[in-house]
Amino acid sequence: MMTPTSEQELSECVSQAKGPIAIKGGGTRGVGVDGDVLNTNGLKGIDLYEPGALTVVVKAGTELSEIETTLAGERQRLAFEPMDYRGLLGLEGEPTIGGIVAGNISGPRRIQVGAARDFTLGVRFVDGQGTIVKNGGRVMKNVTGYDLVKLMSGSWGTLGVLSEVSLKVLPMPEAEATLRVHGLDLNDAVGAMAAALGSPYDVSGAAHLPNNDTGVTMIRVEGFTDSVSYRTAQLREALAKFGGEITVKENADDAWAAVRDVENFHGKDGDVWRISVKPSDGPAVVAAIDPLEAQFDWAGGLVWVRTEQGSDVRAKLSGITGHATLVRGTGQPRFQPETIGVAALSAGLRQRFDPRGILNAGLMTA
Amino acid sequence: MVTNHRMPRNEEGIATVVGVLKQQFGDRFQTGEAIREQHGHTTTWLENQWPDAVVFARDKDEIAAIVKVCATHKVPVIPFGTGTSLEGHVNAPAGGICIDVMQMDKILAVYPDDLSCVVQPGVTREQLNTHLRDQGLFFPIDPGANASLGGMAATSASGTNAVRYGTMKDNVMAVEVVMADGRTIRTAQRAKKSSAGYDLTRLMVGSEGTLGLFTEITLKLQGIPEAISSARCTFPSVDAACQTVMQVIQYGIPVARIELLDALQVKACNAYSKLDLPEEPLLLLEFHGSDAGVIEQAEMFGSIAVEHGGGGYTSTTSTEERNKLWQARHDAYWATLQLRPGAMGISTDVCVPISRLAECVSQAQERLKADAFISPIVGHVGDGNFHCLLLIDKANEDEMERAAVFVSWLNDLAISMDGTCTGEHGIGQGKMPYLERELGAATVDAMIAIKMALDPDGIMNPGKIVHG
Ligand SMILES: Cc1cc2nc3c(=O)[nH]c(=O)nc-3n(C[C@H](O)[C@H](O)[C@H](O)COP(=O)(O)OP(=O)(O)OC[C@H]3O[C@@H](n4cnc5c(N)ncnc54)[C@H](O)[C@@H]3O)c2cc1C
Ligand SMILES: Cc1cc2nc3c(=O)[nH]c(=O)nc-3n(C[C@H](O)[C@H](O)[C@H](O)COP(=O)(O)OP(=O)(O)OC[C@H]3O[C@@H](n4cnc5c(N)ncnc54)[C@H](O)[C@@H]3O)c2cc1C
Repeated sequence: MMTPTSEQELSECVSQAKGPIAIKGGGTRGVGVDGDVLNTNGLKGIDLYEPGALTVVVKAGTELSEIETTLAGERQRLAFEPMDYRGLLGLEGEPTIGGIVAGNISGPRRIQVGAARDFTLGVRFVDGQGTIVKNGGRVMKNVTGYDLVKLMSGSWGTLGVLSEVSLKVLPMPEAEATLRVHGLDLNDAVGAMAAALGSPYDVSGAAHLPNNDTGVTMIRVEGFTDSVSYRTAQLREALAKFGGEITVKENADDAWAAVRDVENFHGKDGDVWRISVKPSDGPAVVAAIDPLEAQFDWAGGLVWVRTEQGSDVRAKLSGITGHATLVRGTGQPRFQPETIGVAALSAGLRQRFDPRGILNAGLMTA
Repeated sequence: MVTNHRMPRNEEGIATVVGVLKQQFGDRFQTGEAIREQHGHTTTWLENQWPDAVVFARDKDEIAAIVKVCATHKVPVIPFGTGTSLEGHVNAPAGGICIDVMQMDKILAVYPDDLSCVVQPGVTREQLNTHLRDQGLFFPIDPGANASLGGMAATSASGTNAVRYGTMKDNVMAVEVVMADGRTIRTAQRAKKSSAGYDLTRLMVGSEGTLGLFTEITLKLQGIPEAISSARCTFPSVDAACQTVMQVIQYGIPVARIELLDALQVKACNAYSKLDLPEEPLLLLEFHGSDAGVIEQAEMFGSIAVEHGGGGYTSTTSTEERNKLWQARHDAYWATLQLRPGAMGISTDVCVPISRLAECVSQAQERLKADAFISPIVGHVGDGNFHCLLLIDKANEDEMERAAVFVSWLNDLAISMDGTCTGEHGIGQGKMPYLERELGAATVDAMIAIKMALDPDGIMNPGKIVHG
């Protein structure tokens, strides 16, 4: 195992590597690849936190919990609310920020504010030859050529090992409230979520937990206190036409963490799939798969399903556009196979960034 | 004129391609000088470098066919929208074929439930918003020009709403692209299979036509807010205005727009748009939200502004008054040109962390004054981005030279503050020298690697961003 303690050492580890490298942050995302383990735990620390500029610069191996605690001290947060996979995968360890950015790990608030990559303002990384590359920085926007920042986010370490990331942070809201609409079926739930998102009331979460026939549809609003109570009341009126009983809960952080981490599936058998579609296709996904259990986040655009082991979910989804990721289970590629043209581009990029094909080899190819 | 880098021309290839395309496209293939000149760079002091011909394409199959012919003969292809880009993006330093996409102006689908739409690249932002209005939706990105959505995606444009709604990068969900070999890909499919691979969408957005040509764009839409109000407030100094901005952002007041105009810019706007704003540094704001929310936001802003010496604070929900104010803001460029009739406007585009904004703007102002330039300052200050618009006499070499020195000095200043030389206009030809200064040689090499991977023969809009 390699545990570099500086970017320079990281660069040497990669350039001198004789074979495949398995990049490991907290090891909490179930990314199993073969190779010499390269642990990022030696690259730790918050380099620069400037609440006034809404930016924080951290080394990639820094634990998420440390960053969240530091930000909370200034009443700020990572607004993309990264999901925690540990419960779902039965893993231990501490999630690192490098893993979150590399996997573009986001949560329910994505529909309002964007994903991890949208909050990543800059990256430093070491490519497959050991070259240190940086792009972006601490500015809110730039148009300086090809966007390596966004490219790195979601590349799961296959184009480079992140050494440092610069993130945009946001103030914590003064108040939060969650409407719960009870008893809607999947179609009405998606209708209600679309109505909420299309409304002017600035919704920051829209999820549906089907629970036999007493499903709960959750709609979240956040902001200044008066505005939250006004918007909650307006939404209650707007959603009345869907027929379910509506209750309102304040400070429902735990309930949203449960949605984010798919707590309903914890400790249960079977494979777990994460399916991205356009929100209005959510019910069709469930109908096509007929899973043991399902959950909607992102207004229906993110469907979590738990299926019997070995189900070929992708085959069942033919005709619905989107992509399915196998989060827990075996027998199928983790990531949706790419079309030929796109696969050629991806392979071309990998070839340029990692010509020896040593970084998390095979992870993003079928 | 500022001369651009020269590139070798493939005369034989160009002659062959011109012959082939002329046959295929008849009237829609033009080689007249006036048309070619219009399709070169026309907006700033960078020299105009014409393409050899312009083709007005009508659909994606035609585009794929043109690119294939050009690929076979290794002839440059330059995508063209409305030609309003500011850094020589549409120039043809090695000649070649300009593909004008403005006849591809159809809005292909609007999905109100999914808050998205699919458009052809020649649709302009105003055309899209006119189309969406009846459905209670809007598309928030509003650069100063009524640009094409293809051009806006290619430059990753942004405008006055970026502080709340982001830039093109945050609002393009997928693109269909004709690549350098003439093949068509979708970065994310509505077709049968879709990929969860690398974020090719955001690699393409902002690639300035150097990796491929967009033939369809899927955009994220927003619901029209229940209430919109606008406000304005004057400040004793640009510094005080910037301090106010920083605090507003830090408080998390969800302003939709927060724009700075310095005293000279206010003066120009007063004259051009027939307003009577006090000729002092001014912040213009807009709040989007619920009826109660916009009042609350405006009040919170007001109290922060007062702490920083802000005065003459007024806010309004009247659509007419609001439109008048924002029209004036959008016309700032034309208003400025009137300050020195006959002069040319050169816009800088630096962007710095919000915490350095006050310092950066103040230093720029001092230097402009010391150098005796006529140059108002306007800024999308909520993002840390501002423009100095230098008015230059093109015929005066000394002035041109001093302006170039100023631009270079300001870019370096921003870079030294952890900022960037370009927040929204892009690299094109004009900012290529700064790319390496800002990002370092290794990063430029990584970009060259991307260019080589996707366009090995370097035919897509050559001589922009990096020399592939
Ligand atoms: C085919 C498809 C259509 C979608 N349509 C809508 C919509 O109309 N409205 C909406 O709010 N959300 C839409 N989404 C977005 C969806 O709800 C998720 O937000 C998104 O896919 C998140 O992707 P991810 O986290 O799995 O991975 P990411 O890494 O974020 O994305 C994976 C891929 O999905 C692509 N993608 C994202 N949005 C779209 C899109 N609109 N069309 C095609 N590809 C897309 C990305 O470009 C990327 O290549 C769509 C997603 C897909 C795949
Ligand atoms: C008065 C004025 C104000 C401005 N204000 C702003 C502002 O506030 N914010 C901002 O961001 N910019 C601003 N700009 C710059 C300019 O409007 C933007 O860069 C705009 O996005 C360019 O769009 P266009 O249609 O004119 O593209 P063009 O100038 O035609 O092309 C720009 C680039 O995109 C490529 N391109 C065009 N179409 C396609 C396509 N279909 N596929 C692939 N590549 C393509 C071209 O090859 C070129 O590299 C301003 C310009 C002016 C003149």
